[in-house]
Amino acid sequence: MRFSDYVSQSFTNLRKKKLRTFLTAFGVVIGIGALVSMLSFGKGVQKNITDQFVELDLFSYISVYSGTNARMEQAPHRPPVLTQQSKEPKIITDEIIHQISQMDGVEFVFPEVRFPASLRFREEDSFTLIQVLPTETCQSGLMKLRAGAPYADDDANSVIISDTMLRRLEVTDMESVIGETIEVATVNFNLNRFLAENVLSQNPPERLPFSSDSYAFTIVGVAERMGFGGPMPLRSEVYIPPGPAAKMKKISMVSIWDFFQPAGSEQGYTVINIKLSSVKYVDPVKTQVEQMGFETFALIDQLEEIKKGFLFMDMFLIAVGMIAIVVASLGIINTMVMSIMERYKEIGIMKAVGASDSDVKRIFFFEAGVIGFLGGVFGLGLGFSVSMIINRVVNFFLARQGVPHIDYFSYPWWLCLGAITFAVLVSLAAGIYPTLRAAGVDPVIALRQD
Amino acid sequence: MVHICPRVEVFCDPMNSTCIVKTENLTKIYASSRIKVAALQNVNLSFSAGAFIGITGSSGSGKSTLMNLLGGLDTPTSGTITVEGKLISRLKKDELARYRRVQVGMIFQSFNLISSYSALENVAFPLLFAGVGKKQRQEQARVMLEKVGLAPRRDHRPTELSGGEQQRVAIARALINQPKMLLADEPTGNLDSKTSVAIVQLLAELNAQQNITVVMISHEEALLGQYSQRIISLHDGQVAEQV
Repeated sequence: MRFSDYVSQSFTNLRKKKLRTFLTAFGVVIGIGALVSMLSFGKGVQKNITDQFVELDLFSYISVYSGTNARMEQAPHRPPVLTQQSKEPKIITDEIIHQISQMDGVEFVFPEVRFPASLRFREEDSFTLIQVLPTETCQSGLMKLRAGAPYADDDANSVIISDTMLRRLEVTDMESVIGETIEVATVNFNLNRFLAENVLSQNPPERLPFSSDSYAFTIVGVAERMGFGGPMPLRSEVYIPPGPAAKMKKISMVSIWDFFQPAGSEQGYTVINIKLSSVKYVDPVKTQVEQMGFETFALIDQLEEIKKGFLFMDMFLIAVGMIAIVVASLGIINTMVMSIMERYKEIGIMKAVGASDSDVKRIFFFEAGVIGFLGGVFGLGLGFSVSMIINRVVNFFLARQGVPHIDYFSYPWWLCLGAITFAVLVSLAAGIYPTLRAAGVDPVIALRQD
Repeated sequence: MVHICPRVEVFCDPMNSTCIVKTENLTKIYASSRIKVAALQNVNLSFSAGAFIGITGSSGSGKSTLMNLLGGLDTPTSGTITVEGKLISRLKKDELARYRRVQVGMIFQSFNLISSYSALENVAFPLLFAGVGKKQRQEQARVMLEKVGLAPRRDHRPTELSGGEQQRVAIARALINQPKMLLADEPTGNLDSKTSVAIVQLLAELNAQQNITVVMISHEEALLGQYSQRIISLHDGQVAEQV
């Protein structure tokens, strides 16, 4: 038999039982649709994360933490992997920052300084953590701006605010805020509240042990909020340069544990970030910093772990998708066995007029393959359509919360081709038992059937 | 009027090149877990090429078993079948399929046409397994339907044809690969007497004009006597009489 005859014969036979063929193929459509959308979701998430890591050059950053102590180990933002631990806590001072910035391959170093503050803009208030960010970091491309520009220098009385924060402040036109003034009110502990004379006084100075100071800043840029979280150098909604930050009265904190720092302890930074000119400097710089007694974290070291995580995610999604595929393949087996029982006499006729066992096998194999092919193509279409709808709906709701548009699903060519091939292979596998049964039909018995 | 070639030698010398079929001690035993039934026992036959052979016998005498063995649909328990010098009783499955496709055509009492196919598609069906292209298949089937007088009915399905017409379609299908031997298993069993005569006449014509060896099973001895050069009577799986 010719290849073209097998194909046309399959379509002819399947057309004879349109409803059954449709229902069987529909089972494959659902299975492949589920599998494809699951996998494309996994791939989409991976692509988004790795692309952003690469785009933001995050692999050439190293975070440095002051030495081992209990509060650091439990800090919520802290990555889980620790490097060599020292017995005595080391303080990261400006001198240390200067030393690190002199190392080979280091572009710039900046401490991660954040403090709580209240924002007031166009009669709207919001509470947030403000991050102090040096100009060179701001201009490095790490931050993506939707409007405006990075601040000019470290002493500029400028602020960059995220689009998410602006939305919280009821601003919709991001361009319109550039050049406008925003009021930043810092919070301070005022321990005077607990002094005996104030506690016993008829007119206590404050009801709460806090004081507040207001500062005016000019908005120069609107930053795009990243679509994902994680260990990143930028982890706030509002950024100001170090110059004005130094003059502000504030509580500096990276985490809640900063509140519990022993009084009178030496002041320093909890975390600093190092930007390297190339990924190749990660290892040498890390080694030098660790030798100084600090702990380090580099995202690139976690790449293998991240890949392993993605692999587990893929495996999980595939496992969920496979349930539908297994159900679909049972449907194929059922349909094929039914078809063989119905066409028992026809198989006998085929053999009587000269069809070999292989011919019979191939005819039924092709039918299974055609069901798989149709199921694969339409399943891919279904998966694609459903994921596009989900993508739009999710983006629609997340856009309201200021999350930029993200394609949560990715359809690389190999996934499309692989889905169809997989559907055909699964169908062929499901067709093995029925085809063997068809080939084994005894023509003498089959021809006797009415 | 049917012309039957009188010169054909029905009994043949197995060493003679005109001998188309020869069986030696042909035995077929159907065995189940409890009992064994000998459908054929030590049957020795030989037919010359171009002969019209009638096979008769009571129900269960082994006629259809003999036909299935000669047609390569079944294999003997013991003994041999030689067709055109080839030992078909020892052929492998694929070789048997080729034998059925090329050397022999079969027709049956119940016609065994595919109900969802038209007359033309049924006739062209064996060519599919011979690897013939679609156009050529249809052309050859058209010619064959013309030969059996069914050209105007080529697009009709079996259910739209009379019994005689269906059997003609089956004959056309059996002949499409131009076999040298036609095996007919009670081809008139489901037909009225007039149609039966017409069908047997057609087989006799094909036998006479195209020198096709015809082996026909029938209960109608009168009909066989009229057209066959030799009648083999089977009884309990053995050759009872050869006339």
